[in-house]
Amino acid sequence: MIIPLLKGLATTLKACFSKPITLQYPEVKRPVAPRFRGHPELVINDDGDRRCVACTLCMVVCPSNAIRGIEAAEGENHEKYPVAFTIDLTRCIFCGFCQEACPKAAIKLNNLYELAQYDKSRLILDIDKATQEKSQLRMADWL
Amino acid sequence: MVNLTIDGRAIQAKKGCTILDAAREHGIYIPTLCYHQALKPIGACRICVVEVKPGPPRPLPACATYVAEGQEVVTSSPKLDAIRLELMKLVLINHALDCPICDKGGECELQDLTHALGVSVVDLEAVKLPPHKDYVSELIERHPDRCVTCGRCVRICRDRVGALAINFTLRGYFTELASGGLPLDCEFCGSCIDICPVGALINKVFKYRARAWEVTRTEMVCPFCGGGCSYELWTKNDRPLRVVNYDTALLCGRGRFGFPVVESPDRLKTPLIRENGGFREASWDEALDQVAAKFKEITEAAGSAAIYGVGSPRATNEANYLFQKFFRTGLGTHQLDNPGRYTYVQALKGLAAVFGFPQVSGVEKVAKPPLPFHSPLTTTEEAKASGFPLVLGKLKDLPKADVALVVGADVTPELPPLGWALNTALERDTFHLVVANNRKTKFDRRAHLSLRYKPGSERLLIAGIIKSLLTAQPEWAPTVIAGGFDEFKENINKVNLKDVAKKTGVPEALIKETAARLAQAQAPAIIFGSELMGQDKGLENTLALADLFLLVGRPGAPGSALYPVAEKNNTRGVCEVGVMPEFLPGFVPLEGAEPGPTLPEMLDLLEKGDPKAPQALYLLGGDLLRQLPNRSRVEKLLKKVPFMVVQDAFLTDTAKLAQVILPVAVHAEQEGTFISTDGSLGLLPRALPVNGVRPDWQIISQIGSKMGFAMSYASPKQIFAELALGMPRWAGMAPKNGGAAFTAEVTGQFVPFETDISLPGRRPFTLLVGKSLQHSGSFTTHEPCGTLTITNRARLGLNPADAQNLGLAEGDFAKVTSSQGEISVPVTLTPELPEGLVFLPEHFSQPAAQRLTLNSNLVRVTIQKG
Ligand code: SF4
Ligand code: SF4
Ligand code: SF4
Ligand code: SF4
Ligand code: SF4
Ligand code: FES
Repeated sequence: MIIPLLKGLATTLKACFSKPITLQYPEVKRPVAPRFRGHPELVINDDGDRRCVACTLCMVVCPSNAIRGIEAAEGENHEKYPVAFTIDLTRCIFCGFCQEACPKAAIKLNNLYELAQYDKSRLILDIDKATQEKSQLRMADWL
Repeated sequence: MVNLTIDGRAIQAKKGCTILDAAREHGIYIPTLCYHQALKPIGACRICVVEVKPGPPRPLPACATYVAEGQEVVTSSPKLDAIRLELMKLVLINHALDCPICDKGGECELQDLTHALGVSVVDLEAVKLPPHKDYVSELIERHPDRCVTCGRCVRICRDRVGALAINFTLRGYFTELASGGLPLDCEFCGSCIDICPVGALINKVFKYRARAWEVTRTEMVCPFCGGGCSYELWTKNDRPLRVVNYDTALLCGRGRFGFPVVESPDRLKTPLIRENGGFREASWDEALDQVAAKFKEITEAAGSAAIYGVGSPRATNEANYLFQKFFRTGLGTHQLDNPGRYTYVQALKGLAAVFGFPQVSGVEKVAKPPLPFHSPLTTTEEAKASGFPLVLGKLKDLPKADVALVVGADVTPELPPLGWALNTALERDTFHLVVANNRKTKFDRRAHLSLRYKPGSERLLIAGIIKSLLTAQPEWAPTVIAGGFDEFKENINKVNLKDVAKKTGVPEALIKETAARLAQAQAPAIIFGSELMGQDKGLENTLALADLFLLVGRPGAPGSALYPVAEKNNTRGVCEVGVMPEFLPGFVPLEGAEPGPTLPEMLDLLEKGDPKAPQALYLLGGDLLRQLPNRSRVEKLLKKVPFMVVQDAFLTDTAKLAQVILPVAVHAEQEGTFISTDGSLGLLPRALPVNGVRPDWQIISQIGSKMGFAMSYASPKQIFAELALGMPRWAGMAPKNGGAAFTAEVTGQFVPFETDISLPGRRPFTLLVGKSLQHSGSFTTHEPCGTLTITNRARLGLNPADAQNLGLAEGDFAKVTSSQGEISVPVTLTPELPEGLVFLPEHFSQPAAQRLTLNSNLVRVTIQKG
């Protein structure tokens, strides 16, 4: 009768002195694997320019119509670049097709995964919000 | 028919067609690259190779090999696949692979081939060639690093357009497309862009604005001239982005690059009502109410004949039909005309005098309700027709003619498709081209005979040709059954050939040779343009040509016809649907009622202050001040009209004189039909939103309804059905088609014409007011029309020797004075013009060419520096 009780207590005590498994989310974020597929974002080069050439292939391949409104413009040296680009995170299914389709490696899925917002419109990213800040993927530890 | 097998399939093919044609017709795929259906095959790329038995022991290009009885063709085998793969690798060896930023991506034939042939790697290497990209030329951008040297652009430019502006330089691997230096100097028709299988030639108006798969495509007729080309309009987010012709790739510059004018900031957006000397914006209801009330007031006070209408060669058939109905049925008057009166109508009247009015019999209603914009009438077996429309030629038949006489037309600016047809005809050695003009035009280069006459002497020259024909062959009988020949002959006998040679400046020998050519012709075509029709004696000029046609024309032979140029998109349509006082729809002469004054007569009435002069004018668009000769007079007279309503898309100088301006829809903002110069029906579907303006037909119907006329219609389709029901000659008419063929009975009556060619005044120069290649009326002169980058303003064309005598250099301003007025305009040295002749395009408002003219497109002027 007592044995099961002790067994239980032992387990509890073991857990008391070992590293907790529960993460104190949102204070603590769960690290993800490097190849995790999070939010799609537009990649920039070291000089701060977007790599995207507004070819719209990501928009074509996206199965859930999460990418839309890509508008192109012509630069001084006749290069093509986007002036408008919308990524709708409320539609994105994080499949990574866009990343695969992009001929310029200009769109990548980063490690961000949070999608809870009071205001849904914050999840609809315009070209600036969709663009990464540094020429590195945004990692969870930046949060 | 020829029997052959392709990949073991027994197939029947037409004699004289290629293996590729036969295969495509039967749905068998043979990859191609340099082939295009609109061009003659040259067999350059060899991607289309097939094995043919019996035949040489090597593969043959399917696009350039003709079918033969008992042939066995194999389109795919390991050997052929290997050849194609190797060829593709060679094509791709130095290819830019710019697909993400290349506008051709998505509809690129090279992409498609790469997929179809499964090219995955290019394991060949070669020196990289320097990419000589051309970003500096207007409208067209060139990327030689994407070129596959198929030669399609070179061929269309040379064989169809006739501009010879681009060709290859260097050889082999180094072959490159070149144009003899930068920037490109050509006609800027852009046909090379549409025919290029890859993205080596880029349309700058469209560049980077959308990807090929994102756009909505609507097929429609071009609204920039009477050529009636049809093209696909690409739209995205309700904005027009590009026009493309996939069929023949041929369009002219204004057709291809003119459409942005639809988005011009100059467009009127709301109705305007004159108030305190200015205009104020008004709502549609207010403006329409005011027009209807004012019209009613005027008809009550001065009778319904006090309102005069001017139709528009820009507006659709439906709008123009409704417009004439407004007058004829609504008001019960025949007080209307169209501005073609000064050009095309003169020609029609001349032709009608010689060949008679159209008579049609043997037409019945179709059993089933017709499709939209299809005629509800059809021909029976005994269908017959006669009258002048039967001698009006079709552009697609023109290449079948064996002699073409071009008089008074600079063909390409007036009607580019005529030029394409002539170029096609010129591919045949048996075709002879005779070009008569007062200056050197594009087709002089290719003409077998070039006649250079003095300005305004066309009819005397024709008289000379007729005379020399009848002198050389006194027994000559007219080839068309015609009355009045003896009398006509007597008249012509009075013409002295030496005198003709002296007055026209054309050597006698050339006149005789032309006559001899025409006499030998089995299918002569006579082409004439608004240069000749727009003279005050335009009617006499046409009579001369019509008489000549009675003499030598063979209306039974395909291609043998008269080809007057109907300048604007619906110049012919506005006449056909009866916007002329003397003709009801279908050129039925008005009987039992008094026709109203013609447009010039109406202006005369205004000048005289005649009680019959109109109290109100209703203009269906068109800048009369810019189009009609003697601008100052027209301006003065229009100002006399107490109430003027103008329907226009722009605030033109004429509109500025109006009391009410109603903004209209243009181009693809409206639905409707046009009749092209050769009588075929062009369909304009709606592809763009109207943004507050209204289509012409709707406005007319609303004003009519407010005035109590039974004129409410749901759509242009309904109007077309009503219109076409009353047009027996349109039986069988459907979009892109000119109606059923009738058994023709062409007969005529020789009508003597005047041979006096004096041009009043003594000033040293003769000014010709004519057309520029890049513009169509005033429509294309608003930003952001693409062709404005090529021709952005009026320049006075002047022979270099004249310029030197006057001390003028290119770009200097010249003061041009006629008896009517004076303008200042920069000059451009034009060696094509003979000394003493100067040329000014008619399209621009500043300076207004028509300030100088009196009653013709020719006027004597003095030119000074300054
Ligand atoms: S990850 Fe998938 S769903 Fe999300 S934007 Fe990219 S393609 Fe679309
Ligand atoms: S696929 Fe890449 S280059 Fe193309 S639009 Fe998308 S992000 Fe830009
Ligand atoms: S021409 Fe075709 S293959 Fe070449 S870059 Fe353009 S789209 Fe790609
Ligand atoms: S530019 Fe285009 S059409 Fe001309 S040769 Fe090159 S690939 Fe052919
Ligand atoms: S030829 Fe006339 S109809 Fe054809 S594209 Fe040019 S303007 Fe339009
Ligand atoms: S398509 Fe036949 S040779 Fe090029």
